[in-house]
This record gives sequence, C-alpha cells and structure tokens, in this order.
Amino acid sequence: MGERPASEPAVTIERRGDGFLAACFAAMASPCELLLHDVDADRAGALGEIAAREAGRIEAKYSRYRDDSVVAAIHRSRGDPAGILVDPETASLLDFARECFALSEGAFDITSGVLRRAWRFDGSARVPEADAVAALLPLVGFAKLGWQAPRLLLPIGMELDFGGLGKEYAVDRVFQLIAAETQEPFLVNFGGDLRANRATPSGPWRIGVERPESERRAAMILGLERGALTTSGDARRYLLKQGRRYGHILDPRTGWPAPGSPRSVTVAAASCVEAGLLSTLAMLQGAAAEAFLAAQGATHWILR
Amino acid sequence: MQLTECERSPGASSDARVDRRRLVAASCALLSATAAHGQEATNAVSDALSNVWHFDTALAYYHENGRVRVIEPIVNFSTTLDDGRTFSGEAVFDSLSGSSPNGALPSNKPQTFASPSGASLSSAPTTYTTSSGQLVSEPARIYTVQPGALPADPHYQDQRIAVTGTWGLPLSRLTSASVGGTVSYERDFVSLSTNAGISRDFNQKNTTLSLTLTNEFDSVHPVGGAPVPASDYALFRKTGGKTKDGLGATFGITQVMNERWISELNLSVDRFHGYLNDPYKIISVIDPTGNTTGYLYEKRPDQRVRKSIYWENRAAWGRLSMDLSTRYFADDWGVHSDTVNLHVRWWNPGRDRFLEPDVRWYRQSAARFYLPWLDSTAPQIANASSDSRLGAFHAFTYGLKYGARNTDRYDHTTSEFSVRVEYYRQIVDRRPAAPGALQNLDLYPGLQAILVQVGYKF
Repeated sequence: MGERPASEPAVTIERRGDGFLAACFAAMASPCELLLHDVDADRAGALGEIAAREAGRIEAKYSRYRDDSVVAAIHRSRGDPAGILVDPETASLLDFARECFALSEGAFDITSGVLRRAWRFDGSARVPEADAVAALLPLVGFAKLGWQAPRLLLPIGMELDFGGLGKEYAVDRVFQLIAAETQEPFLVNFGGDLRANRATPSGPWRIGVERPESERRAAMILGLERGALTTSGDARRYLLKQGRRYGHILDPRTGWPAPGSPRSVTVAAASCVEAGLLSTLAMLQGAAAEAFLAAQGATHWILR
Repeated sequence: MQLTECERSPGASSDARVDRRRLVAASCALLSATAAHGQEATNAVSDALSNVWHFDTALAYYHENGRVRVIEPIVNFSTTLDDGRTFSGEAVFDSLSGSSPNGALPSNKPQTFASPSGASLSSAPTTYTTSSGQLVSEPARIYTVQPGALPADPHYQDQRIAVTGTWGLPLSRLTSASVGGTVSYERDFVSLSTNAGISRDFNQKNTTLSLTLTNEFDSVHPVGGAPVPASDYALFRKTGGKTKDGLGATFGITQVMNERWISELNLSVDRFHGYLNDPYKIISVIDPTGNTTGYLYEKRPDQRVRKSIYWENRAAWGRLSMDLSTRYFADDWGVHSDTVNLHVRWWNPGRDRFLEPDVRWYRQSAARFYLPWLDSTAPQIANASSDSRLGAFHAFTYGLKYGARNTDRYDHTTSEFSVRVEYYRQIVDRRPAAPGALQNLDLYPGLQAILVQVGYKF
C-alpha cells in the first residue's frame, strides 16, 4: 500500500450500541461515518477504508482550495476560447448541474460561488452593499458557460463550485460502493447528509435533526428505513443585522438570501443528490418552503 | 417510511415548480453514469495533477537579410507546489553568427577593419599589453569591405546562455509576493539581475495591483578590451572590463472589465548607469568631399533613464480572441517610441486548432547624439553613435501562427504544437544627405528579417 495519500482520510472504528460499529473519518469539512450492523471490526475497517478513500478522492478532485484539483484546472483554463476537456465523471456532474439549473429556473447554480466575494457568513452584521452584490451578478449563470461534453469554456471572472453538490454526491457514491460489498444494513452519514440501504433488524435507523441552539429543545428524531435524507439550514452560518437574519443559502438570481427562509429543511428522497437539491431549493422559497415541498410530493420536515 | 428508488419514479403534481420527474431522472443519470466510470477516473486524476510541471519549449531561427543568423532554443517551465508556492524558470541558448554592421558608413573606396579580437590594422599577429600588464598574442583578423557595401564584421559570432528563476509566494488569500533572478552569460558580457514584487487583489478579485522592483548588475569585458569612448579606432586604445548597473520599478494594474474582456496597464521606469557603449561600434569621420578620413569609437552618455507605459487589452468572443497592446516609451537620450501590436486568434469549431495572424507597427525617434557620420571639419562633440538602433525608423512585422492543441480528457494536461512565421521590415526615417562622393551610395539600407519558430508546450 505504501504511504497514505494526503487525500485519504484516516479511519477510526467506534462501537455504537447493540451490534453497531461506526467507521469514522473527517472529509469535506464534516465528520463522516459509515454505520454498519452485524459486522466485525476488521470488516468495518475495510469498508471504512473504501468509504474514506472515495470521499477523499471526490474532495481532492473537486476542492476549490487545492491547486491540483479538477476545479483548479478548470479555473486555470478561464478565458481560454479553446476551453478544457473534462473527464467523464466531471462531465456527468456538469450535465447534472445544467439539468438542475434548467429545472430550477436558475435557483440552483454551480457558478454562484463568486457571490462569496461579497458575502462572508461569520455571524457578524457585515451585510454587503447592494452595489457589490449587483456587480457580481454578471459573473453568475450556468447558461454563460460553454458546456458541451466533454468541452467546457469558462469565461473570464467566473468560477465553478461543486460545494453545493459534492457532499451529497460523495454520499451516493460511497453508498454504491458499500452496497456492492455487503448486504447487511448500513448507513452513510457525511455531516448530516445521509443514505441507508435498509432497516436494521431492530427497526428503522433513528436520525436526530438538530434544532437551532436558541430553542434549547432536544433534537427531532426521524425514522428512516432506506433512502436519503439531507438537511439544509443556516443554524451556524448566517449574518444578523438590525434583527434580520441573512442565511448562507443565496439565490443566484438575486445574489441575496430569500426572505423568510426556514431555519432548516430536511427532505427525504431516493438519493442524496435529489434530496439535497430539493432541500436547497426549498430554502430559497422562503416563506413558501412548505408549499413547495408539498407540491413536489417530497417527505419533509421544516424548522422555523 | 419507504422511499422510491430510481426505477419507480414518483408522480409529481402538475403545479410543481420543479419537475420532480426530471430531477429524479437527472439524479439517476448522474449516479448510474458515474458508477460505471468513477473508479476508473480515480487513479488518473489524483496521480496526474499533483506537482505537475508545465513545459513550454521552442526553437527559433532568426535571419536578418545578408546579416546575422540566430538559432535559439528556449525552455520554459513552471510548477505549483503543495503549499501554493509556484516556481517558474526559463533557459535560453542563443547562437549568433554572420556579419554584424560595425557602425561605419559605406565608402566609394575599399575599407579595411580588424575584428575586435585584433589589436591593430596590421595583418601580422601582434602582441599587446592589457591593463593588467599581461602580454597577449593574438592573430589579427582583418576584413575588407568593398566600395558601396555597408561595413560589417563577417566573423561575428556569439553564444549566450540565460537562466531565469522566479518563486511565487502566496502571502494571504489576496496578496502574493514573488522573488526571482536572472543570470545571462556571454563570452564578453555577464549580467545578473534580481527582482522582487508584490501583488494584491481588490474589488472582489476583479482588480489586481502589482509593484515589481528590479536590480541589475552587468560586467562588460569585450574581446580585446573595452575601447576608450571617442578615441581613434586606429590607435586601439583599450582598457579592461567595465560595468554597468540598473535599477527599475514597474507598477501594474489589471482589471477584469467583464467576462469577455481583461485590461492591463503597466508603468515602468528604470535607470542604467555605467558603461553603456557598444564596444564594437565605430563611427566614420567624413571630409567635405565624401572621403572617409578615419573612425572613432562611439561614445554614449553614462546614464540612461527610461520610462514606458504599456496598455494591453485581451478579449474573447466565442471562437475568436484578440490581444491589442500599445506602448509608449521615452528616455533621456531623446528616443521616443510607439508600438501597436494586434493578435487575432481563430479557433476551429472543435477548438483544438487555431490560426493567429499578428501585425505590429513600431516607430522611434533618434537619440540626440545619433549621427550617421562625423564631419572631419566639425569640432569634437560630447557623445556620438551611428548605431542604427538609436536612429529614427519605423518598422512593420507581419506574422502568422498555427497551433494544434490536444487535451488529455482524464488528467486535463494540454499539449500544444505551434509554428510561427514572421516577417520584419525596418525603414530608416531620417536620411541626412551625405557630402560629395557618398551621394550615390545607399547609406540607409534598413533591415529585413524573418523569424521561424516551432514550439511545443506540455
């Protein structure tokens, strides 16, 4: 095996209650775990390594912070009229991002990362000037990219950010890899975005959803047999100015958070990427989040 | 709770703002497509992108009509290290040969000169004493120029090797510094320079300001010694090595105007001090009848302050991109110049081939001490040079470049092959009428040159 590559997080095994083992590692700025039922520690370690390697791979490949990532290679090609040829996995993600951009009418947009140049969500009152936000909007819009698989043209000044998609995608990818290895019940949880293959012998997986700290109430407990759950919220990342709360989920079309967004939205769906998109879009509906999710026929829990 | 799997799509209500069916289909397409190739892509990407070195290599052939030929291989390399530092460098090797004008005027009589390694105009090997007291014996290399021809040293030969290295150091998210140095070596010239710069992004990274300082030290030790400026060529009064040094600053601002247009403005000033003469250039002394009575070594001021403004705009529209730059230059020798340079690049629909025509227009005024010849009856003057590069002229360059690019679809490495051909034509603008016998000779031949460059980037 040799030395562990920088992109492969270290795995520790923890015992969790009756017959459960958790393979834990840190990736994508989140605590990650693979919960397994009825396996021994060696097997849990081997499966945990598979999960950690895949999470590390996706993180390294799509990180905005690494010079050797595909995102960095794409950013280096900025303004090049010849564009850049991307690998098939990146092409699939771009196709998915384009489809989401189209069906959400621009509400989900992987080019919206440039808005971070104006917004810093650190709990302070530093809400940006309207001019600063408006000045960035010309640089936002998937439709401004030249994308025809496998060639991508990134105009000058624009950025790609797979952050709104990467963790959910990683959960689904790890889920697929582990499902190919074991028939026993398991659950993949990357910082609250999770997916399970089937119920445990003692019943559904019990998922706790944190309430905002101010409420001082116990977590909401959900039961999940199989499928994915994602939670979008601004419990930790927000700005507070003159009593108004600005959540970190920005509407790419306006550059501003939607007014009246819930504190958190939890959505159940078959896959994590699907649930993640629905929960993000629900946040952008603001006061209409409940109606939006009901119209989708999506099982959901909303905290306000 | 039982959640629906891909194959059993849920029925979305008709008034839904998002077409749930489309979302489910897209999610399934993403996950089934990547299930097939995710693993295969794994190794290719993570192995190939860490600490990649980029190389840009070229071989250029430059030929001035009837004069010097230069063959020049260039290697450029750059890399980004794990901690965000960058390192880039360049190595150039020049091999020059052919004939080089020595600064004298054509004459209606044959003219005899000694190559710089020669000690006198006599044809026998001679012995002379250098400034350090050493006895040196060298064969004199004599050349004779026929009537009407532009005097040029036919034995001109030089090799140059230059190596440059630059470190880029990110200091914060918005600020970065760079330090670098260059060593250039020729048989008769060694140049050392260092530079340090800082740049900072503003205005949401749409504006970058930069400041670079450079310091240069040159050691000049011409073949046969450095001639005493303005001394008589026939006397071969030479001294040992000379030096010159320079200090410069460049302030730059780069502005992203919009997603198609980027603009860059640079202001530069530098000052050189020391031995600024070309040790191999002489100047004819002409009497009122047009006869050449002798030659003096040229003499330039020992200080030069140069200022320039450079403005470049790069824009792209679909398969077309354009680079338009203009530069204004002035120095305290009286040289002012203007340059306009336009490159237009067309990509083919597949965007892996391009054609890039370019045109450059250049005009400069003469240095105050530029004189094609000295008048034998005029009093001795302070500074004089007949180097045509300090004269008034304008020039056109027409070029065409063809490039083919190949991108590896797994590791994103790009390689590019290119061929560039350029034609350069220089026309002398100020042509003082010469006296007597010189009137029928072409004293201002101008210059034509071609450049062929083959490049490979990977």
